[in-house]
Amino acid sequence: MSPDGYLVEPQADDFEPATAAPTDPYWYKRAVFYEVLVRAFHDHDRNGAGDLIGLTHKLDYLEWLGIDCLWLPPFYDSPLRDGGYDISDFRAVLPEFGTVEDFVVLLDEAHKRGIRVITDLVMNHTSDQHPWFQESRRDPEGPYGDFYVWSDKDTVYPDARVIFVDTETSNWTYDPVRGQFYWHRFFSHQPDLNYDNPEVGEAMLGVLRFWLDLGIDGFRLDAVPYLFEEEGTNCENLPRTHEFLKRCRKVVDCEYPGRVLLAEANQWPTDVVEYFGDPAAGGDEAHMAFHFPLMPRIFMAVRRESRFPISEILAQTPPIPRNAQWGIFLRNHDELTLEMVTDEERDYMYSEYVKDPRMRANIGIRRRLAPLLDNDRNQLELFTALLLSLPGSPVLYYGDEIGMGDNIWLGDRDSVRTPMQWTPDRNAGFSGCDPGRIYLPVIMDPVYGYQAVNVEAQSASTQSLLNWTRRMIQVRREHPAFGLGDFTELGSSNPTVLAYRRSHLGEGDTSDDIVLCVNNLSRFPQPVELDLGEHEGGVPVELTGGVRFPPIGELPYLLTLPGHGFYWFQIVFSDAGREP
Amino acid sequence: MITPSATELLAEIADSLTAMLPEQRWFAGKGRPVRGVSPVRATDLAGADPRLVHAVIEVDQGEQHRDRYQLLLGVRSDLPDNLGHAWVSACGDQAVYQAIYDPDLTAVLLELMAQGKDLDGLRFLAEPGATLDPKQRSRPVGAEQSNTSLVYGQACILKLFRKITAGRSPDLELHRALAAVGCQYIATPLGGIEGELDSTPVTYGMLTKYLRNAAEGWAMATASMRDLLAESLFTEGASGPGGPIDPAEAGGDFASEAHRLGQAVASVHADLATALGSSPAPPGYLDALVDGMHGRLDSVLRQVPELAPHEDALRAAFDAVRDLEGPVLVQRIHGDLHLGQVLRSVTGWVLIDFEGEPMAPLDARTAPASPLRDVAGMLRSFDYAANYAPLGDVDPEQRAAVTLAWTTRNQDAFCDGYAQAAPDPRKQTVLLRAFELDKAVYEVNYEYHNRPPWLPIPLGAITRLTTAHP
Repeated sequence: MSPDGYLVEPQADDFEPATAAPTDPYWYKRAVFYEVLVRAFHDHDRNGAGDLIGLTHKLDYLEWLGIDCLWLPPFYDSPLRDGGYDISDFRAVLPEFGTVEDFVVLLDEAHKRGIRVITDLVMNHTSDQHPWFQESRRDPEGPYGDFYVWSDKDTVYPDARVIFVDTETSNWTYDPVRGQFYWHRFFSHQPDLNYDNPEVGEAMLGVLRFWLDLGIDGFRLDAVPYLFEEEGTNCENLPRTHEFLKRCRKVVDCEYPGRVLLAEANQWPTDVVEYFGDPAAGGDEAHMAFHFPLMPRIFMAVRRESRFPISEILAQTPPIPRNAQWGIFLRNHDELTLEMVTDEERDYMYSEYVKDPRMRANIGIRRRLAPLLDNDRNQLELFTALLLSLPGSPVLYYGDEIGMGDNIWLGDRDSVRTPMQWTPDRNAGFSGCDPGRIYLPVIMDPVYGYQAVNVEAQSASTQSLLNWTRRMIQVRREHPAFGLGDFTELGSSNPTVLAYRRSHLGEGDTSDDIVLCVNNLSRFPQPVELDLGEHEGGVPVELTGGVRFPPIGELPYLLTLPGHGFYWFQIVFSDAGREP
Repeated sequence: MITPSATELLAEIADSLTAMLPEQRWFAGKGRPVRGVSPVRATDLAGADPRLVHAVIEVDQGEQHRDRYQLLLGVRSDLPDNLGHAWVSACGDQAVYQAIYDPDLTAVLLELMAQGKDLDGLRFLAEPGATLDPKQRSRPVGAEQSNTSLVYGQACILKLFRKITAGRSPDLELHRALAAVGCQYIATPLGGIEGELDSTPVTYGMLTKYLRNAAEGWAMATASMRDLLAESLFTEGASGPGGPIDPAEAGGDFASEAHRLGQAVASVHADLATALGSSPAPPGYLDALVDGMHGRLDSVLRQVPELAPHEDALRAAFDAVRDLEGPVLVQRIHGDLHLGQVLRSVTGWVLIDFEGEPMAPLDARTAPASPLRDVAGMLRSFDYAANYAPLGDVDPEQRAAVTLAWTTRNQDAFCDGYAQAAPDPRKQTVLLRAFELDKAVYEVNYEYHNRPPWLPIPLGAITRLTTAHP
């Protein structure tokens, strides 16, 4: 501690920074993201849990797969009472994962391979073990006395809902040390930082700069709607919260161009767009935000064999600023929540979800993609094709590229956090440790077990899901329309077929890229007649095989699709690729 | 060479038209020889080459059969290959063809509507507040029975009435009335083409917003049924092989859509009542209604022996309506409501085609009626959708159980939805059942003559409706 009572915290200068990633300010609009849990990917030091060095050793695999950016859930020092989202030191790495130096090596090696790395940053609160909080409760008059939201009464801000209703009864908890109540929107062991105190904002910007100086490519900002509190409001999405995000963005754009901020605001798209900031400025808050409602709608649409659940949510999604991008996903480390439901949508979601026992059971709980789809290869491909072609940057969840299973006997959210399955050897090649020491047992059932489902076996088979996924990522990379293009749904009289066009107008000497995606959401073969009149004279060229389909004429364009089949076409207007 | 006037042109190609008409899908007089064609009126709408002529012709098919049809003819000195299929006749050294296939000429119609032109009594109108973009190119919509529709760009759709009958089209009338009260469940009307024939108003065309991403209720409902059959008949269930499963458990469950559809229909009924009134039925309405039902039954009984065993039960169900107490409300209704007349758009359900029962005369189509008739039409349509999916070797009893479960679930959901925006139709069982049975009797006749294998669908419904409510 310094003489004036401030804690002495590590500075970026104490470390060697990583090589910078290649410059492209809008890389995030075209990137394929990959969410990987450090603990679950590869265990280098054989202590039974994955670590940063282990992950570094697997970067060749991720480069081979075609991943552009890794998203790491928090790896900061933490008592781990909330999966690492309870951070006790923003400037240290959880010892079991390694050190800050290890992280810099990971960044360095990733950047050499053209892979970027972002991580979660929880700005709203800290662990109650964080020295800031310990100082704050100990010394109300000290420099950290005002770092948290303290009150003599637990009746302030009565309009703010309790989010974790299962475990918490109030947003206030009494602290016997300080003799006051402290404010927390989530668990009582996660006190909210007091952004009314300008020093808190400065301290958090210091944390951002610490990691940005080391070379990190961006942050997923966790729980952003709750930074500020105001009496008489529900304390969510307040204007001052947006002002602070604008400040963060300015720091990134001015001091660290090319890095990104991804907002986690589990809200309806019309509300989430606020977090992109001013459209006239091309967006001046977060670069990206997750599109939460899309994912359950994809599952619903395929289950209903109807495109409308997807069509509706996309029709209700407002345009976003020029430089902004959605993040979309099928699965991640969390369960799905339906809290983004607004009043007008509640009836819809209620009638579709709550009355359907299978939807409720499958979507609400913690399952991986493959078991959710009964391991049906056709559906796995269809879902992946939708993820890679709908508007937004796709986020893959580690292991889903090989169709990994889950272990529903594990508690909480651990069922989808089991070790990555690399080989059919001991511990699935994840760790050389004694199998009894592993942090979670590897999946061992006959269908999804590591002996049947692993990277080694699937790399060797040209027909594997892994190689298929890799190929689709390659195709996506070849076409800017997927990342940058407009989205237009092409209706048809067949409600079970979802067809859309992604079109990106070329600039300078690059040509237009028009991609047509046609998806059969039904288990049965389907015909579809598409109105492609705008592209009369064009030729659809199938993207995975390059086969030229019949040219588009005046009449509606007829396609037939096998059950759960899909097509990606590029519409071309030249004779390129044709035999002389 | 002197260019013939529009009327002269029509006279000159009369023989070709006589030959062409029976091949047109929209021609209502199929099966009777066409003796001749005479011009009723003809108007030049545009240009010299290509030239667009609007025409009404009278087709002579014998004393009782003199129907009038609307034609749009293009005239070009050089007909491009891609319009070859639209060729009708030569006229001098020029080709006369069906102009609906020529986007250069159909654009004229949109332009005239945008300008609000009146050409020789042919009135082109844009609805208040509508903005039309005449640069949109059109294409005809396939698979239409009695009219021709052109979709312009992806923005609007022009329905051209083919057979022209005296009186303003209820479709246009009701769309306008509903739009005026802000109804959300219709395609917004954008324009019209109207005029007079023999001093009586007639409607030639109606322009509405095009719902580019919509699908027919029928396609949605049959997709749901297909899914249910696959799950319950071809899946080894926990309850043993192929046990029928509850439609609520099936992935393709349609009930929530049916519920929203019920709400939409009820809202349209409420809006029609607001716009055009609703009142207790005049004295004698119920008796006339029941007499009509008996009359149709008499006629079908003479033709279809399979209906005979149901006669007593049907007549009893009809007659029960005579004794209804309390007022029965009547208003303007859709008149021909079924799953093929509703579209699911990205914002919800939309009702289309307010023309009324196709075969009925205009005054019957525009007469106030009980909205339960529309409800009955939709309930019957669910029954048809459930039975539509053709299947091979399936145990008929099992199939019947599955289809009945689906029908009941979706009919109930529809009524539940309806009851959220209007009185619950199931509280007027007697009248609702009579409408359903009347409709089923009509279906019996239709299936007997056109699709005998389908006869069991309406007969089964009659059995159920007359035994479930003794």
